[in-house]
Amino acid sequence: MISKNALLKVVLYSAFRSGVIDIVLGLKFFNIAFFFAWGDTKARYRRSILGPWWMVLSTAVSVAGLGFLWSMLLKDDPVKLVPSLTVGLVVWQLLSGCIIEAPSIFVRNAHFIRNIKLPFFFFLQQLLLRHLIILGHNIVVIVVVVTYFGTGFKVEQFLIIPGLVLVFANLAWITVLLAMMGSRFRDVEQIIGAIMPLMFFLSPVIYRPSQLPFAQAIVWANPLSYLITLVRDPIMGSAPPLFVYQVSILALLIGSLFTVCQLGKHRQHISFWL
Amino acid sequence: MAHLIFDNVTIKYPVYNGAAKSLKKSLLSVGTGGLLSKAPGDVLTVTALDSVSFQLDDGDSVGLIGHNGAGKTTLLRAMAGIYIPISGSITSAGKISTLIELGAGLDSELSGYENIYRLGLLLGMSNIALEKLMPSIEEFTELGNFLEAPVRTYSSGMLMRLMFAVSTSNQPEILLVDEMFGTGDKNFQEKAKARMEGLISAAKIFVFASHSEDLIKKFCNRIFELNHGSVTEVTKTFN
Repeated sequence: MISKNALLKVVLYSAFRSGVIDIVLGLKFFNIAFFFAWGDTKARYRRSILGPWWMVLSTAVSVAGLGFLWSMLLKDDPVKLVPSLTVGLVVWQLLSGCIIEAPSIFVRNAHFIRNIKLPFFFFLQQLLLRHLIILGHNIVVIVVVVTYFGTGFKVEQFLIIPGLVLVFANLAWITVLLAMMGSRFRDVEQIIGAIMPLMFFLSPVIYRPSQLPFAQAIVWANPLSYLITLVRDPIMGSAPPLFVYQVSILALLIGSLFTVCQLGKHRQHISFWL
Repeated sequence: MAHLIFDNVTIKYPVYNGAAKSLKKSLLSVGTGGLLSKAPGDVLTVTALDSVSFQLDDGDSVGLIGHNGAGKTTLLRAMAGIYIPISGSITSAGKISTLIELGAGLDSELSGYENIYRLGLLLGMSNIALEKLMPSIEEFTELGNFLEAPVRTYSSGMLMRLMFAVSTSNQPEILLVDEMFGTGDKNFQEKAKARMEGLISAAKIFVFASHSEDLIKKFCNRIFELNHGSVTEVTKTFN
């Protein structure tokens, strides 16, 4: 006679194991995922001379326009505002791009999923890598803006690397979870699409949290604020507050554990949901 | 040694209520067949395969017959490991290639060459192997300059040629092919037959779903008839 508790442990453990198997199998496809992501980026800009640099141009244009407008509107010094706005916008593009696309990722790849046996994590790697490639292009804008306005090199800028690692690790579990929810409930995509503009105004892209005379807590209630700060502050030459790291690491641990269990529990159902 | 063993396999689709649009779609796709039963709660359950048991070994080439919605495609997907049974077990050994849905795994904007490459990688071929196989794939498809054109310009027969060429170049030990096989012209079917015979004589497993008695007679040495999710093996007597 097995007690209920022990049974629950067995179920949880097997779900966790099955989730880990999918992720490990997916990681074996890393090269192929990168090849696909690179091909997709190229394909999107085929027949244009600038190619992927169109993205960079559009980022540069919005940075120039918004930086000029908002520094006047907010009566802020462009030297302070423009670099932080640039980094904020580029990181926001990464976050919102991944999060908005995630719920429909399995549906859009249904013709793969229903015909070729592939680990589900493969598709999310492809999504994340595609946005990493876009980020790689956009870094040009950041480098130009930060060198032009910036105060030169600082040791804190090395924190960009752990910052980006934390951002992508968090994005990995968020997108896996959203992708599963989006394939089970088709309206997740619309809900996310409706929430994201609100999140934009609640995240420190246009302003810095310290500029808010009131209600800073609201900004820190937005989980995306942490991810933006993790990358932006180091680029601007200051270390992010400690609690930003604590929250991000805690979210990564809890989120990953939960998502891996959910993936293990439901990966055999996903092909039926599509 | 390739083998594929189904032991009392039952596959049920849960069809959830509430997510209106997707629910309607999923109901429609199974509406023409399968057993619809209303389970307690709001979950509709479709029994797509009902206690199916059989064993396939090297050299078996199986034809699947049955009316629309009898479960042929579900059975193929279960063999490929895409659908997981809720009870019973599926054991398989051997490299699996699938040709289930026409155009699956192809990107319509990319050229034939790029798609051969992508599909090949997904089916487990290496870059080097693909480079080596490319001339023979090119030759087998007979698509010539069309391989430079985006796949969206292809006819269904051309898609079939491309997919068949890639899926079989992998030297699969288990090849699962659905219906759409019939879209190739006569010339292609002759070529495909020759390649199939090669695969079968190399002691591999071939499963083929079709409504065409001719094709099944041509390719298969065993015939499974599906009816509402259950499988019975019929002896080769139909004319």
